[in-house]
Amino acid sequence: MSSDFEAYEQDFGTLTAEITNKIGRIPKLGGEEKTQLVLNVDKQLEEVRELMEQMDLEVRELPIQSRGMYQSRLKSYKGEMDKLEKDFKRSRIAYSDEVRNELLGEDAGSSESQLIKLREERAHLLDNTEKLERSSRRLDAGYQIAVETEQVGQEILANLHTDREKIQRSRDRLRETDANLGKSSRILTGMLRRIIQNRVLVFVLGAIILITIILAIYFNRQKAFFWSTLRQCNEELD
Amino acid sequence: MDNSGKEKEAIQLMADADKKVKTSGSFLGGMFGGPHKVEEACEMYCRAANMFKMAKNWNAAGNAFCQAARIHMQLQNKHDSATSFIDAGNAFKKADPSEAIKCLNAAVDIYTDMGRFTIAAKHHITIAEIYESELVDIEKAIAHYEQAADYYKGEESNSSANKCLLKVGAYAAQLEQYAKAIEIYEQVGSSTMDNPLLKYSAKEYFFKASLCHFIVDELNAKLAVEKYEEMFPAFSDSRECKLLKKLLDAHEEQNCEAFTEAVSLNEFDSISRLDQWQTTMLLRIKKTIQGDEGDLK
Repeated sequence: MSSDFEAYEQDFGTLTAEITNKIGRIPKLGGEEKTQLVLNVDKQLEEVRELMEQMDLEVRELPIQSRGMYQSRLKSYKGEMDKLEKDFKRSRIAYSDEVRNELLGEDAGSSESQLIKLREERAHLLDNTEKLERSSRRLDAGYQIAVETEQVGQEILANLHTDREKIQRSRDRLRETDANLGKSSRILTGMLRRIIQNRVLVFVLGAIILITIILAIYFNRQKAFFWSTLRQCNEELD
Repeated sequence: MDNSGKEKEAIQLMADADKKVKTSGSFLGGMFGGPHKVEEACEMYCRAANMFKMAKNWNAAGNAFCQAARIHMQLQNKHDSATSFIDAGNAFKKADPSEAIKCLNAAVDIYTDMGRFTIAAKHHITIAEIYESELVDIEKAIAHYEQAADYYKGEESNSSANKCLLKVGAYAAQLEQYAKAIEIYEQVGSSTMDNPLLKYSAKEYFFKASLCHFIVDELNAKLAVEKYEEMFPAFSDSRECKLLKKLLDAHEEQNCEAFTEAVSLNEFDSISRLDQWQTTMLLRIKKTIQGDEGDLK
């Protein structure tokens, strides 16, 4: 009987050791492994509880004299199991120190990393200054180009003004020439009319003179005839 | 080459034309075919001159044109005569500048006689340019530019007049006739101020005027700058004005290095180069500073 109980005690010891070990490991791990461990620990706790019940039955079957000792042992084992359960529950939600370390980094740890950081910052700042200088140089060049453009613009404007005046002058002169041409064309038509008039006049006068000459010749003829008849009459009378 | 053949032809034409003119001198010729002959001779001179031009014999071409012009004068064709003189002037420009100037002067006289002042002004400018470049007689060049400006003003072409006046001003300042230069620049500046097209050039003119004031007397320059700022608010914004103020300060302190610095590297010159005229003026101002320092010692 007691050998059974001792076997149970040994089992209990190994199981509790394993459980404690696993409970210690649970917070460090995460995810898959954690759930597996949790299941393991659950099973082991179940086994521990069965062991406890069996140990209880054993103790009851014992004679009354030795029961006291085993009962006290049983109580202590129960207490241990309770504690293990509590630990187990806590471990499932607790963070471990190592996780904390991971989170907050090794700052307190190394000055080496501090130097590296400083050097990086310095390089970064130098980069920035370089960029600023480059941009200011570009701005200067841009300003120069703007000023040159303005000067070119000034010259162009002055040229445009001169050309504008030239064009205005040419336009005025053109209008003057147009007016003059109009006048001259009117004078020419006037001249043409007068020429035609003169020619008509010349023809008319020429015609009149011709008629007068013909009339004169005719009348001369008539007169000659008249005088000749008169002379004949005179000679007949004589 | 083709050109030499042309030249021979041209010489032949000239000889023919000469003969024609001589024969038309006799009374009979004058009666019957006179005018036609002379006109023909004129035309032949022109053709001969063109051929000489092709052969690049500028002197002969110029002479031929001059002959043609004289014949035109005889025929009382003023316009044609003047054009021939101008052609002669152009031909002589490449060979003999003084002859060119004589021809151009004759042409200008004819134009002013006819009352065509614009074109006379244009040719005055040409003459002045010849004086400027080939004969390097700045006084005469200034005189011609002034004439041209006056004619342009008479014809209400203020832009062209301003162009000539600017040249006059620049040369006057070079020859140290500062009063004249100042007057010209102020005049031009105030007239361009109002014109929306030209107002961007106005600040340059005021800058030049202030430089001239500066050479004469520093106090004058200060007053002038204030006056211009009053007249023309945009002037005070311009970089030229800022440069002027710096120069005034440097001059007051008789500080030569500040002066140079204000002008050069970090400031004005690096952004927009100063042209020849401006650098000369600034150099003179600088010399006055150094001169003053020498006097103080």
